[in-house]
Amino acid sequence: MSDALTDFLADLATRGHEPLLAKTSGSVCLEVSDGNGDERKTVSIDKGQVAVLGSGDAAADCTLRGSRDTLNRVAAGEVNAMAAVLRGAITIEGNWELLVRFQRLFPIAAERNATAAAQATPVA
Amino acid sequence: MSDGVVKILDGNTFVVSDRTGDIEASATDPTGLFSFDTRFLSKWVLTVDGHRLNALSTDDLNYFEAHFFLVPGTGTVYVDAKMSIIRERAVGDGFHETLKLINHDEKAIDTVVRIEAASDFADLFEVKDALEKQGTYSNAVEDGELVLRYERDTFGRATRISSSEPAEIDEGGLTFDLHLPPHGEWSTDLDVVTALRAFGEIHRRTKYGGNGGKGKSQMEADVENWLETAPRLESDWDSLRTTYRQSLIDLAALRYSPPIAGGKSLPAAGLPWFMTMFGRDSIFTSLQALPFKPELAATTLRVLGDWQGTRSDDFRDEDPGRILHEMRYGELPAFEERPHSPYFGTADATPLYVVLLDEYERWTGDGALVRELEYEARAALNWIDTHGDLMGNGYISYKRRNEATGLENQCWKDSWDSISFRDGRLPGFPRATCELQGYAYDAKVRGARLARLFWQDDDLADRLEREAADLKERFDRDFWIEDDEYYALALDEHGAQVDALSSNIGHLLWSGIVPDSKAPAVARHLMGARLFSGWGVRTLAEGEARYNPIGYHVGTVWPFDNSFIAWGLRRYGFKEEAAQIAAGILDSAYYFQGRLPEAFGGYERSITRYPVEYPTACSPQAWSTGTPLLLLRTMLGLEPIGEHLVVDPTLAGGIGQLELLDIPGRWGRIDAFARGRVHADTAGRLRPQLAASAPSS
Repeated sequence: MSDALTDFLADLATRGHEPLLAKTSGSVCLEVSDGNGDERKTVSIDKGQVAVLGSGDAAADCTLRGSRDTLNRVAAGEVNAMAAVLRGAITIEGNWELLVRFQRLFPIAAERNATAAAQATPVA
Repeated sequence: MSDGVVKILDGNTFVVSDRTGDIEASATDPTGLFSFDTRFLSKWVLTVDGHRLNALSTDDLNYFEAHFFLVPGTGTVYVDAKMSIIRERAVGDGFHETLKLINHDEKAIDTVVRIEAASDFADLFEVKDALEKQGTYSNAVEDGELVLRYERDTFGRATRISSSEPAEIDEGGLTFDLHLPPHGEWSTDLDVVTALRAFGEIHRRTKYGGNGGKGKSQMEADVENWLETAPRLESDWDSLRTTYRQSLIDLAALRYSPPIAGGKSLPAAGLPWFMTMFGRDSIFTSLQALPFKPELAATTLRVLGDWQGTRSDDFRDEDPGRILHEMRYGELPAFEERPHSPYFGTADATPLYVVLLDEYERWTGDGALVRELEYEARAALNWIDTHGDLMGNGYISYKRRNEATGLENQCWKDSWDSISFRDGRLPGFPRATCELQGYAYDAKVRGARLARLFWQDDDLADRLEREAADLKERFDRDFWIEDDEYYALALDEHGAQVDALSSNIGHLLWSGIVPDSKAPAVARHLMGARLFSGWGVRTLAEGEARYNPIGYHVGTVWPFDNSFIAWGLRRYGFKEEAAQIAAGILDSAYYFQGRLPEAFGGYERSITRYPVEYPTACSPQAWSTGTPLLLLRTMLGLEPIGEHLVVDPTLAGGIGQLELLDIPGRWGRIDAFARGRVHADTAGRLRPQLAASAPSS
């Protein structure tokens, strides 16, 4: 079954060189915490060269762990990755700097740009 | 310790208490223990036998520790102190507090000591805007600790309070039933730990708890080392030496290591509201500190580069290439009820990023960093002409896309009424304020140098130089107010001049966008009676409809603003005018015990005779802390040229001697000397002539 996370990773796998990560090397693991325990995908980055590895690989430099729903929404660009980390919806282990670089790859959902500002709590 | 408040800080953790060490915060006042933009303690009240205590003295020995010497009884009556109470507090991952009671009596005493503790877990934004909480609170006694908790969905924050001596712990605090023998003592170590569920690192103990103060002495050594490795200042002006030392200490205190900086630090913006990374503030402060602490600039450039915008996100006002405005870690950004994770709504940080990168290389010769940040610098230069140019007229302008919680004014004067016409009308959006065009010009000129020398891209360099020349010409045509001979504050949404006279024209000199033929008129306005108060240049000129000497950006004097204006005057050869501003601002520091505030009143110096502090100003504030440093650079005329540092001093009358020794840079270390004329009593700390007399070189 296709979901946003799968689509996001499939898209990443086709990118090859990603200029936004040209100075970045390391591996980032995305792990679904409410799955069967084996749902993790590792993305390796070698000076911008991006490759998606299978599950069950050795420990990544940075692991993002969250519910399937949260990770899907981050991958779809509906939820901001850093905000999700701040509220504990995604936990992070390992290298923070990698997360900051990696989150550049998450999209912004198109409808977000039309509605996000309107949904925010007005200033008191 | 102004307004009876004691502040200590370590990174983004800080404690603001009253002079007895107590914390009793209301919903809207910024006292308490804060960390990662969340209040972890809103109540911390010590009583002995049910009575509050009276402060005999309070010492903030280092920026991260304070000692409170207390006695029972109130301050209004004679105190018959048979007992002393000492609280020694050091902040770090919460705080550690040693509480000591000393019985001075010949008789034994029985006494009950109580500490009331509570937390509202307010987000700093809630404290500022008085908002309601949405999560749930729970207090519990667990494993001999008092645990205060706040939870909302997956968001969790907790405060863990423990004591080394046995205590009766309930959900509201800790009680100690004590028996003190004649001349006996008792003490306990209290730890208040700030625990987050968000960062992988959940604190189990405070930085200084349970290690015999070892960590603390390392901190002290770190501060000593920070001071010792800074250039040494010699001067016959005592107040200047005090101010310089205070600036260096405050700059050390305001260092902040964001979770991604690999333990390196950059300047946070200011206590208490702004202990976090700001694009504009961190860049300006790094520029001011370059001749003293160039490493701050390197970290600022790297971290802001890591966070540079890559997408278009209306909620965050993010664009590709844009440098962030502000990063926050509290509950509201965490639930995306505020856009600060991070927020990008600033129109000046992006060009200033390129300016800092170039200025940093000129001082340090660190070409490796210029090459490392080529992508970021190019993206920033690109932003100026694309997303920055909202009206497509070749000028940077701003208009927030996040209408609910974004910033209206995205220039440094960011209050609602800061940009106005002479008659007080406020222009619509987008607004193109003048100093933004100066920064863009400077970024292009400096970017061209970097492209040619480090990126081997002559085409880009040529293009940037052409664009800069074109911008300078257009700017002079579109912003110059012919009749009054100064540059308009801004262009409005129709491209019409927003014609108020403001301090912004001083930044234009700093950026070099002013043609030489127009510079004397600009300098004349800056030093004229409408803008110059005798202490410094007002944000808005006297006589403008919205002028108010205690209006935040409409008449007050901002030390930081003046430091860049003085640098600008120097750039165009107005050495004596620059020296006069430097002297005025540095003289005002005497009245603030060496710590320049964010802003002070724009009253004429001869009327008030002392500078009137702006009521709610942040202190210490990073770019005010950096101001004396840049003013020293300006007075000494320090300018890196090639591999050398040029020294070309001009001092205001009243300063006899000024030496800055061991100035670091690509030349190794160099000393700078200046001599001036002193006409009066040099032993006195106050020198009226600083404000009045003609400068001498």
